Amino acid sequence: MLIITRKPGEKIMLGDDTVIEVIEVSGSSVRIGIDAPRSLPVYREEIWRSVKEENAAAATAGPDALPSDLPVTK
Amino acid sequence: MAVTLQSTRFGPLEIPEDAVLEFPQGLIGLGGSRYTLLARSDDAAFVWLHSLEDPALALPLTNPWRFFDSYEVEIADDEADRLGVDAAGDTAVYVTVRAAEALEDFSANLRAPILVSGGFGHQVINQAPDAPVRAPLFSTSAEKAA
Repeated sequence: MLIITRKPGEKIMLGDDTVIEVIEVSGSSVRIGIDAPRSLPVYREEIWRSVKEENAAAATAGPDALPSDLPVTK
Repeated sequence: MAVTLQSTRFGPLEIPEDAVLEFPQGLIGLGGSRYTLLARSDDAAFVWLHSLEDPALALPLTNPWRFFDSYEVEIADDEADRLGVDAAGDTAVYVTVRAAEALEDFSANLRAPILVSGGFGHQVINQAPDAPVRAPLFSTSAEKAA
């Protein structure tokens, strides 16, 4: 992993189009600004990971895994 | 021109061109760029989002409002602009379903709904406060029955 020290207001470029800016450091929290191309989705890692796990779990269902006669509530 | 899908789950299927959905960013962690929706009937509670590139990749989805009356999807305006979806427009909303042996262990991912509009699909992160990754699908009916 590349490790870079930055001060508030300083930025990091990922390629030519993605800018990461350290906005503010306060105690153990860092506010970060991200300016990325429209085609590049940005996720908080823990949310990305939990959704990835959930997608993978959903994709393990077999063709007959779903109940066809449902006790649907409405 | 129809696309032939050799599904490991459902066998060979002919998919009409206008049923092909483009997912520019794929599904989170799964990728893929072309999917289609398969249903056993028009009013089926569950549909399958099936990859057209990977014959073994398919996820069950459902309409969240079928199970969660008060469900809300909230995405930032610039995110909606980026994806070209419109709250007022005809955007279909689905959530992925985690199947299980027992009905009470079924869950839906309310945090990362899939929006389908104009032949494009996007899995987004829902900013609404009450949107768990694993919301039990059948607990409400179990409580009502008890």
